[in-house]
Amino acid sequence: MIKAIFYKEWIKTGGYGLLALLLSTGFAGYAMLRMARVCSLKGADHLWIVMLQRDAIFVDLLQFVPLFIGLGLAVVQFAPEMYRKSFKLTLHLPLRADRAVAAMLAYGVATLAAVFLPALAAMGGYLQSILAPELWQHILWSTLPWYLAGIAAYLLTAWIALEPTWGRRLIDGAMALLLLRLYFLAPAPEAYNGFLPLLTAVTLCYGLLAMLSLTRFRDGRQD
Amino acid sequence: MENVIECRNLTHYYGRRLIYENLSFDVPRGRILGLLGKNGTGKTTTINILSGFLRPRSGECRILGEKIGEMNPLTRRRIGLLIEGHVQYQFMTIEQIERFYASFYPGWKREAYYELMGRLQVAPRQRINRMSCGQRSQVALGLILAQDPEVLVLDDFSLGLDPGYRRLFVDYLREYAKAENKTVFLTSHIIQDMERLVDDCIVMDYGKILVQMPVRELLDRFRRYTAPVGEGFVLPKTAGIRNPSVIRSTLECFSMEPEAEVRARLAKAGVTELAAERVGLEDAFIGLTGKY
Repeated sequence: MIKAIFYKEWIKTGGYGLLALLLSTGFAGYAMLRMARVCSLKGADHLWIVMLQRDAIFVDLLQFVPLFIGLGLAVVQFAPEMYRKSFKLTLHLPLRADRAVAAMLAYGVATLAAVFLPALAAMGGYLQSILAPELWQHILWSTLPWYLAGIAAYLLTAWIALEPTWGRRLIDGAMALLLLRLYFLAPAPEAYNGFLPLLTAVTLCYGLLAMLSLTRFRDGRQD
Repeated sequence: MENVIECRNLTHYYGRRLIYENLSFDVPRGRILGLLGKNGTGKTTTINILSGFLRPRSGECRILGEKIGEMNPLTRRRIGLLIEGHVQYQFMTIEQIERFYASFYPGWKREAYYELMGRLQVAPRQRINRMSCGQRSQVALGLILAQDPEVLVLDDFSLGLDPGYRRLFVDYLREYAKAENKTVFLTSHIIQDMERLVDDCIVMDYGKILVQMPVRELLDRFRRYTAPVGEGFVLPKTAGIRNPSVIRSTLECFSMEPEAEVRARLAKAGVTELAAERVGLEDAFIGLTGKY
């Protein structure tokens, strides 16, 4: 039955997933191209010097890409469920409602992982060829909070989308904005390193908020 | 007879607005029961409670012996649900939706679904969101037939359907329910459809049940009475007489009491030359609930 839920989610999001993969790897590729250009014009040692002296990581343009990809996935996945309350169909399936929603969220997080990992792998692959291990790892560690923000945006948007009342959606939306701000407060690259395990755990816990919306939906809350 | 659906003392409010209080009803196995009521009397509320999408303020409902709020998810295999407006997953094609649902129901009857789909002028890969409401109603009906549930809960099945599709839906559903001894609980705002389809009816008014009985019995007992009256005539409150109105010097009223009894009571109020006529379910509904 869980496989069938995955099948439904795939029908909704397959096309978007492909587009998101292209966008994610495309932006990462573009960032690498820019670094390759600097390398070819001024040499790799120039990159090293700028990184060390100015604390630059050269991939800042990726900062909000995962966030928008995560948000878009949640909209593509959950908006059709809320259209004319089709979500009732999912809740009527002979399957525990929380398991059905958990399966939907797990599918979404897995999709995001499948979208983000190739970009990270591509960046890691290229950066290893031009930078010392400390430097390329420094760049990748600095991007991890942004990718976590993508997953957080997905789970928080799912929470808002499944919420049955517009009034509460606005409140949830405001809270989601504040929570997402947490991922972009770093004063310097790698500032989050010590905090990343906790941030990852907190991010995954946002999935529980969708269960809150599920309970409210099943209670018949209305505007 | 075993009751498949049992609701006891349901009370529900939206905010401070009372929808109904202490509503109780049963649906015995093998019967088709229609819930009739004007807009806002709580038909969809009742369906939502029965489907587990709304927790009533108090009271409880059981389907197949299980409390709705604590129902084993697998019991839902035995309950077919049609959401108002024939809502289905719009993003699926008729092939995809069949494949999806088939995984949940061990007794899935694929051929029943495709038999109905064969009559539609749609390609197997056509998305449901590109279908007309009538075609969507057939998809929804096909899925219910393939699921082959013991109990069907249908919310306003006639919404958005033209007369042809309504007739098709009603005839198909009645034939299926009777042949397979299914229990059906449904609402519709088109009363003529109910007359062709249901065995029993509940007529609701704001906050209460007015009548719950077999349709045949209701139509046998219910009468419309008309009589010429003088200008400005107002019928005093008379026991058993429902919704009297005077239009152009003609009194119209309704009653379920025996005809002789009604004539005697109205004669006391000065109404003579009374004409009585049998009515269909729609007129009986108007007679019970009033025009306003």
